[in-house]
Amino acid sequence: MENSEKMFWTGLSPDEAREALVNKDKSMRDKQMTLKEAVSRFIKDGDNIGIGGFVNIRQPIAITHEMVRHGFKDLTLSFQSAGMAPDILGGAMMVRPEHFSIKRIELAYWAHEAYGLSPVWRYLAERALVEFEDWSNYNMSARFKAGAMGLPFIPTRGPLGGDIVKTSRTKVMDCPFTGRRIALLPASNPNVAILHVQAADMYGNCIIRGTDATCPELAMASAHTIVTCEQLVSHELVVSQPKDVMIPFAAVDAVVKVPFGAYPGACRRHYYFNGDHIREFHSLVAPVCKGGSMDGLKAWYDKHIFGVKEFEDYIEMFQSRQLIADQAAESFNCERLA
Amino acid sequence: MTDSKEAMSPSTDYTAQEIIVVAGAKVLEDDKIVFVGTGLPMVASLLAKRTHAPGLIPVFEAGAVGPPLRHGLPTSVGDSKTFTGASYVKGLNAAFELTQRGFADFGFIGGAEVDMFGNLNSTMIGDFPDGYQKPKVRLPGSGGASDMAASCERTILIVPHDKKKFNRKLNYITSPGHLDGTPDARYKAGMQGKGPYRLISTKGIFDFDEKTRRMRILYTFPGETIESIQAETGFELLVAPNVSEFAVPTVEEIRLIREEIDPAGVFVKRAAK
Repeated sequence: MENSEKMFWTGLSPDEAREALVNKDKSMRDKQMTLKEAVSRFIKDGDNIGIGGFVNIRQPIAITHEMVRHGFKDLTLSFQSAGMAPDILGGAMMVRPEHFSIKRIELAYWAHEAYGLSPVWRYLAERALVEFEDWSNYNMSARFKAGAMGLPFIPTRGPLGGDIVKTSRTKVMDCPFTGRRIALLPASNPNVAILHVQAADMYGNCIIRGTDATCPELAMASAHTIVTCEQLVSHELVVSQPKDVMIPFAAVDAVVKVPFGAYPGACRRHYYFNGDHIREFHSLVAPVCKGGSMDGLKAWYDKHIFGVKEFEDYIEMFQSRQLIADQAAESFNCERLA
Repeated sequence: MTDSKEAMSPSTDYTAQEIIVVAGAKVLEDDKIVFVGTGLPMVASLLAKRTHAPGLIPVFEAGAVGPPLRHGLPTSVGDSKTFTGASYVKGLNAAFELTQRGFADFGFIGGAEVDMFGNLNSTMIGDFPDGYQKPKVRLPGSGGASDMAASCERTILIVPHDKKKFNRKLNYITSPGHLDGTPDARYKAGMQGKGPYRLISTKGIFDFDEKTRRMRILYTFPGETIESIQAETGFELLVAPNVSEFAVPTVEEIRLIREEIDPAGVFVKRAAK
């Protein structure tokens, strides 16, 4: 009992998540809208936002740009491993904290693998500008899964033995069946999942290629789901292979076609990473971490996000030669004819 | 193509990262499943597949099992290159579930610092627990490392050798190894697997003493001695009864790394000319 009094929920509690779904319009209707409309309709200040993708793969970058343009306060971000999506959101908080702010981050990893550490994460954490809760990749994935299963917690081995147990809401107990120690992790039911997928129909049935990351679990766990897709295809095409549908329409609230919606990250079958652009963004943040000027980073946001109407305008700033090369690299990765 | 005698001769210009890769490859066994993290472990696994372990099966945490990796080095564990030709393609939960279930024979993990029991930190440098919310240096975080530590059958640790990285006490334990070294510590904590099996640094290869679970020198890299390694370690190392010098990488091993596995120098940096 003492344990449950100390427990707190950072998105929806399991009961609230259930209630949200009970009251949700589950009809199979046309959910296409603009990104601007989707973001303003479904995201509110103080929400817990579940970020899809994995590191820089299939991250919902276009949605994060629109969130920054709109402006939100006191968000909680939940993800396993992420790169550019929290960079875009966190960088916005660095340049215009009165317009965009993050209160809390629940995560396993925020960096860029081959493209290095995230200077945005270092800036926010080392100055104590956000509160955070460390988990592992499996911990966060299992927490979304518990949310998707309609359960309040999930048992895992993951954090046992280390300090994650001490700095998170993990409960360690003796398993009632084996008597051995087992970790219990609280479910994560975000208010809104933001996801980018390869293809969807207008109802929100989604097809994912390459890694599923934890997108299906996130969509099923969250009260609302905003999906951007590379390709908007007919319902008949999507359901011609019904087992390819990774996210069912009833979990989705908004469908927006946004080609290059995960750029400069990668999206299987469509484009590979633009590592130079990721590094260029970081080169503007790194000096700020050392106490230098924010001007370069401000100018980046003004040019690429605040100064444009929509994500397509940002994509237009890249040379077509670059975009074609990134598409060609991905065709090579996929070993397929055009 | 070099002739086979020259190919098997010792390399004269290998780098510290390259010998780590060669050592990592040699620790792996054929026909086993290895859970591969980002960076040097990928290069080591590919080298093992090209040499003594063609039947090695890599698993990537984003959900790809057993890809042939014909299209070059993945820059991410969720990279498209890990999915083409893979035998089983899912997401993160599936990858970690199969590890938790016992399918991963080996797992590679790294960290910013390590202690004598093979516990690793990749979370923060600073005052813990009081300064957890305001670290001196904020590192990326666990990623999948703590899950691999808790569930792979045997883990291989890669940490560049430096007195500042080999510490008696860690700032934060992200990926638990042999915990405090007491018998059955992992089992009592609820963990699975035998824990740290080998540690590969820039100075040698280490195992963990069966009784005390303390780090022990097994092989010294060329140019190093037991004393020179101890001098760069922040705790007392044990020494295996028959420590030997690890063989210098061959010309062919270095050629494979430079020309075929990581020609762009994504993870294995080129020596300055």
